[in-house]
Amino acid sequence: MKKILLDAREMEHPIPLQLSLSYLQSMGSGEFLYMIHRKNPIPLIEIAKEKKYSYLVKNHNDTWHILISKESGIDLEDLVDV
Amino acid sequence: MFSQGGLSLEQAPPISVVLRFFITGSIFGVLLSLFILFNSFYQLPLFSSHIILVHLLGLGVMASFMFGAMFQMLPVIAGVVIKIPTKKALIAHILLSVGILLQITAFSTSNSYLYLFASIILGGGLLHTSTLMFKELIKIKDHSSSSKGMLFAISSFIITILLGIVMLLTLGGYLDMPYLLELREIHYSFAIFGWVTLLIIAISFQVIEMFFVTPKYPNIMTKYLIITLFMLLVIKSILIFRSIDTILIDIVFSSLLIIYAGVTLHRLYRRRRPTVDGSVWFWRFGMGLLIVSLSSFFIDDLRAITYISFIGFALSIVFAMVYKIVPFLVWFHLSNQGYMEAPMMHDVIHPKRVKIHFFVHLALFTLLIINSFFNFLIVYIISNIVLTLSFSWILYHIVMANRKYYHIQRSFTPIKW
Repeated sequence: MKKILLDAREMEHPIPLQLSLSYLQSMGSGEFLYMIHRKNPIPLIEIAKEKKYSYLVKNHNDTWHILISKESGIDLEDLVDV
Repeated sequence: MFSQGGLSLEQAPPISVVLRFFITGSIFGVLLSLFILFNSFYQLPLFSSHIILVHLLGLGVMASFMFGAMFQMLPVIAGVVIKIPTKKALIAHILLSVGILLQITAFSTSNSYLYLFASIILGGGLLHTSTLMFKELIKIKDHSSSSKGMLFAISSFIITILLGIVMLLTLGGYLDMPYLLELREIHYSFAIFGWVTLLIIAISFQVIEMFFVTPKYPNIMTKYLIITLFMLLVIKSILIFRSIDTILIDIVFSSLLIIYAGVTLHRLYRRRRPTVDGSVWFWRFGMGLLIVSLSSFFIDDLRAITYISFIGFALSIVFAMVYKIVPFLVWFHLSNQGYMEAPMMHDVIHPKRVKIHFFVHLALFTLLIINSFFNFLIVYIISNIVLTLSFSWILYHIVMANRKYYHIQRSFTPIKW
């Protein structure tokens, strides 16, 4: 799986959402978005839910790790870095 | 716009819900500036002109913008769902707009029927909307500092509205209220320091860190500031009724607000990745004016500066929020609907346009503050022309953003993604 890394910890709202939606719209199979954020990006997760994408959200030391893939049935736990 | 609670995108209000209030607020702003200009040539009696001016600003401009912002922010900041928002916003919008016009006509003509109609339509409309929001906010089990702050702000607004209705009915001759002066002081204390100030503080706790990547506010401030200010307002009201001097309460209240403004300025100074952004200038200027307003509050000779700088504070924050919310909504709704042609935020309202407005706003309040010392008619007229320009500028950009949104919806086909 090819990782598209988006470190949004120092980005002003809503740049992380803009970039992640742009990646998700153009993302192909065999790719996944790996976003690191200082907040839990609820709107992005809701979009992933509505589109029936696979997603994983983990909070580690007050930093959020969000993984999203268009492929269903993928185990994102194996791909998270924490 | 993030919430720490759950939120489905379907619960986010349609763009029209928010923009209708923002457009109305801007139109009332233009009307306000034209009224001031008109009044400099054909002076209405002092009571009428002051009270019209205050209500055009407080309800026409501030309440319109703040209702629009609340309809947008309650779902995304507080996780509150307002069901059928389009219909509810339409009712609120019509009653508010018609009610304000009726109220202003009542103030200028002193017609008792108009006072009655204004109290029913405006009072009813405002109560309908604010209790609707209050009922949703009170249901929240796990409050954030922002949602709790919004609850206190809305509670203050409900108190303001109820007192306003009583006063309108008294002015119309339908009630015989012996404590009218005391009620008036409590009415505007809750309006200015409860509704407007508490709402701005509540929103700032969430958006300053989120929009500008700043350190968080101190916990003690987010936990206790708003409730303390609200309690001080309640105590002040009791003292007013008992004819006891409120100077001590005023000093504590002002000091707390000055500390808040200082902390906010400090947060903005410590932005982790400072980029040029007109809205951050509005926030900084607004906080600076809040400090000026409260510092001059206790000096009678500077009373005009107190009022002018407080208005400048509130309008600065309103403009800062509008320039963030409107481009975000246009981009977010189109993008989520699958329009690849959705403009990026800076294509909806370019940051340069925001900066131009900031300089107009800066010039306006500099002129108004300087002229409070000299009172030159020509400066007064120029500042009112600048005020007209300021509201026309924001009105134009909201209308253009709205047009851009519908143009893209009409002209392109969304993709499924």
